[in-house]
Amino acid sequence: MENFTALFGAQTDPPPPPTALSFGPGKPPPPPPPPPGGGPGTAAPPTAATAPPGADKSAAGCGPFYLMRELPGGTELTGSTNLITHYNLEQAYNKFCGKKVKEKLSNFLPDLPGMIDLPGSHDNSSLRSLIEKPPILGGSFNPITGTMLSGFRLHTGPLPEQCRLMHIQPPKKNKHKHKQSRAQDPVPPETPSDSDHKKKKKKKEEDPERKRKKKEKKKKKSRHSPDHPGMGSSQASSSSSLR
Amino acid sequence: MAEKFDHLEEHLEKFVENIRQLGIIVSDFQPSSQTGLNQKLNFIVTGLQDIDKCRQQLHDITVPLEVFEYIDQGRNPQLYTKECLERALAKNEQVKGKIDTMKKFKSLLIQELSKVFPEDMAKYRSIRGEAHAPP
Repeated sequence: MENFTALFGAQTDPPPPPTALSFGPGKPPPPPPPPPGGGPGTAAPPTAATAPPGADKSAAGCGPFYLMRELPGGTELTGSTNLITHYNLEQAYNKFCGKKVKEKLSNFLPDLPGMIDLPGSHDNSSLRSLIEKPPILGGSFNPITGTMLSGFRLHTGPLPEQCRLMHIQPPKKNKHKHKQSRAQDPVPPETPSDSDHKKKKKKKEEDPERKRKKKEKKKKKSRHSPDHPGMGSSQASSSSSLR
Repeated sequence: MAEKFDHLEEHLEKFVENIRQLGIIVSDFQPSSQTGLNQKLNFIVTGLQDIDKCRQQLHDITVPLEVFEYIDQGRNPQLYTKECLERALAKNEQVKGKIDTMKKFKSLLIQELSKVFPEDMAKYRSIRGEAHAPP
């Protein structure tokens, strides 16, 4: 926010009030205070401002308008211009505001081990506490020598479950969602997958053999069946199946 | 400018990886892994030294405190940038609206004053360097 206060602070501030609000032709107004920071506003004010104090010239020059002030210059940067464009931030705006930014910290730092989505106050790992209570620094980091390393001899065996914080990872929703959507979405009949193509090809290859077997079976059945209408019709049916 | 950040990022990534590996060693410690543990501990010390060296290059970088609040709450810090940009644009539009309204008011006021005080307004326009009365 501090960055943008610099942008807007200068524009939203009300103009400084005139130092004297005196009326009457005999009292020339004092020169208006120059705006802070210079710029086009520092240009010479009208006759009222340039006149020496006590002179009636200024009042006569401006007529009844002795409280007039210099108009702001056209080149001055105000809120009337698109400041996002002025500071070349369109790309950043489109990046962050054009699409939905994922809410969790693990989406920003996906490779960081541990559960980083939990509030820092839970395990006393907040950055705020690091600023409020900075650690006592000894000056420099020295390597651990042989005698000091003897203090790092650990007990053999696995750690208890509650201490294995490093192994807990936030669930990655993306992959899960992808799988779900694939499972839920029915495959359109016009676009069968590659595996379907292979299956069809196999079916086509097997087809002539199967047809032969089926024909033989049908012939046998039709010969032995009690509803056998006669040879002519069976032949006709077999011939039709051949086609 | 970006090189400084890349350098720090690289060191931080190495440091995090060393910490992760150290966690794995410690989580199921075996006597044979003592040398590995010692090595990792010294890697961490050198990692901290490298990060500390980066501090000198980044002393002029300021980070808004609000970003830390986002991180502490487990939220994506890019949301802060997003909200900042949205707020800036909203304020920009608001100020633009005020300026446009004041401009309209000014022209309307001059127009009406010219009807009532034509001589004075002619003087005013001559002082301002405006040849014609505004529409």
